[in-house]
Amino acid sequence: MSVSYVPVQWNPNKWKYDAVLIALVVVYIIVFLRLGTPAADFTRPVDGAILRIRAFGSCAFLMLTVILAIGPLARLDKRFAPILYNRRHFGVMTTAVAFTHAMYVLGWYFAYAPIPRLEALLVSNTSFGQFLGFPIEALGIAALLILSVLAATSHDFWLSFLSAPVWKSLHLMIYPAYVFVVAHVALGYFQDAKSPVFALIFTGGALTVAGLHLASWFKERRFSPSTEKWVKACKPSEIPDKRAVIVTISQQERVAIFRTGNSFSAVSNTCAHQGGPLGEGKIVYGHVTCPWHGFSYKARNGCSPAPFTEKIPTYNMSLENGVLFIDPKANQPGTDVEPIIVEGVVHG
Amino acid sequence: MALSLLTMATWYIYAGGAVAAVFLTIGLGRLDENASDAWIFRPLLIPGVLLIWPLVLWRWRVLHRGENKLDRHRMPRAAQDRIALAFVCAIPLIIGIALISRQNPDALAPPVLLEAAK
Amino acid sequence: MAKEKDPFFVGWGKIPKDYKVFLISLTASIIAVFAILSYAISSTQSDPGDGALMGLTTAVGILQADPYPVLHVISSGRYQPGETIILSGGGKRGVVKRAAGFDGQVVRAAGVTMQRGDLNGMQLRSGKNGLRGDDTGADAFTVRVENLGRWRLTGEICDGKCLNGAMRPGRGLAHKACANLCLLGGVPPVFVSSAPVEGSEFLLMADANGKAVTEEILKFTATYVEIEGEVERRGELLIFKISPETIRLAQ
Repeated sequence: MSVSYVPVQWNPNKWKYDAVLIALVVVYIIVFLRLGTPAADFTRPVDGAILRIRAFGSCAFLMLTVILAIGPLARLDKRFAPILYNRRHFGVMTTAVAFTHAMYVLGWYFAYAPIPRLEALLVSNTSFGQFLGFPIEALGIAALLILSVLAATSHDFWLSFLSAPVWKSLHLMIYPAYVFVVAHVALGYFQDAKSPVFALIFTGGALTVAGLHLASWFKERRFSPSTEKWVKACKPSEIPDKRAVIVTISQQERVAIFRTGNSFSAVSNTCAHQGGPLGEGKIVYGHVTCPWHGFSYKARNGCSPAPFTEKIPTYNMSLENGVLFIDPKANQPGTDVEPIIVEGVVHG
Repeated sequence: MALSLLTMATWYIYAGGAVAAVFLTIGLGRLDENASDAWIFRPLLIPGVLLIWPLVLWRWRVLHRGENKLDRHRMPRAAQDRIALAFVCAIPLIIGIALISRQNPDALAPPVLLEAAK
Repeated sequence: MAKEKDPFFVGWGKIPKDYKVFLISLTASIIAVFAILSYAISSTQSDPGDGALMGLTTAVGILQADPYPVLHVISSGRYQPGETIILSGGGKRGVVKRAAGFDGQVVRAAGVTMQRGDLNGMQLRSGKNGLRGDDTGADAFTVRVENLGRWRLTGEICDGKCLNGAMRPGRGLAHKACANLCLLGGVPPVFVSSAPVEGSEFLLMADANGKAVTEEILKFTATYVEIEGEVERRGELLIFKISPETIRLAQ
């Protein structure tokens, strides 16, 4: 937002969110080390360092699994949106847990050798040509590097500095990162664990994430792009009051038509902040409000209310034979467009 | 090989440190009006600059010349769809490979005497 | 308070009542699921076996340098005369260089004992405190060597130190890089057979000529492999003189 930057824009919801995150990690690690491990059937105890490697490693995997499930879940069911709201904190916390895992690995498997740790990490296994015995450390390093870049560029400054499209492209690297993590586990601990319990949890988690993405992709596909000059949108009555309908007008562009009573306005579906889907938002206090982080805009001109200076493009519309049409040529962000007034429309 | 990789990584971080020093003290306030009086959040940006400093230099140049033509509302949606689909395929593939490769320690062949001692 | 007709969450605002119930139950279930998964994963970890470090000891015996340094015990507070001990150094290091001058001689070894099943090992203390020539006139004996024929064995190539109890677990794919580091550092490689061969499932590995194995085996460590080679009993330890070209992944 266009106010002076601070390290974190705290609000009560973020405090609660972070408290839950910390509780999640603390509960997981304590249960792992203090309750679960003593119940395991060991002739002699597993090394403390290896237990911590496993505890933090599996915790990071599960956290990343949840993070990647949030996006599609929020699209499939709006009630998940509040978890998405502070997903960046979830990501930073996961990076910290993954980093802890890596430090224990480095301080145990790669210490006490005649060569320095980082060098040992790189030279100890170079069998890149095989599946079994593949250097899983390389996969872990790749994932951790990506997570570090994403965590380090999670502040709003980076969004504004890199521009939302560049920032978004950078943060799409979370997908390869998860693929690396899955391969890291699949060719490592997954092969070692004799009990089917870990195999079930691991494959179940990873396949659920993949399945959710497939489901949300199918849901999105229903909005098919159009090449017509003016794009046919919908009947005014199809839009619920204070809500919107999303219309896809090209591969990159979507338009949200908002309704306030009997007045209709079209704005870009993409929030100027993180690219959130404005059309899944709502008119709150008279403003289009993003479902992700609550950025708001006036529907008729796409401008954020003062003191904020964010702007999004608007679109011209026409009403023909009781159907709304959109001019696919976007207006400059902040251009005022007279709303279309449709008398006597009810939601039906 | 491993050593030169580590040396390169070290130099990359050093270079990032130099970029961070200049960018966070001088460059930032000129580029972004929201940052001109904000100092407390700046140390938070150091890790990011260290990691992606070439990108920082590129954006710095673009913003400095006022060439920022990227449409904020045009997100990499097509790319996102392609990446998500590739992702959806990659996960079961990796798990499939891992399952096929999995060796069962309880089903290993017993020792076989090929030729008795002479 | 009346239920809102069309609830909507805004981060900076109040959470709608409908959402609140959902979120509280969601939060509680995520934490509960994490706790359950944590317990499920940790309580079903595989048994790392009985390998362990067993405290300090000394032993006088005959040192044999090839393929890797081992000690055939003459007398010791801990070991029985005739037992054979695999020697390694501190951390991920072997004692190949330190032992080179003592091949076939009676020496005095001191360090931390390691044991896993019938596999005995010792992590030598540094310098002369760990290994020196013995001048107490202990009675040397001729180490019995017996050829047991050519075998095809299935099992895992491990480093003889972590496997022996220096790490628990000290084998498996998660430990592969560590095993390789140990082997590169000169720790003796030990083959763990799928079933005992002539009484033992642990065999010290050597190349076909009875010398140290080459780095070729690093590709195959920590996986289950099939290897052919001559098996020989020296003292109480089996030596597996492998033909490297026969190594392949087990089915």
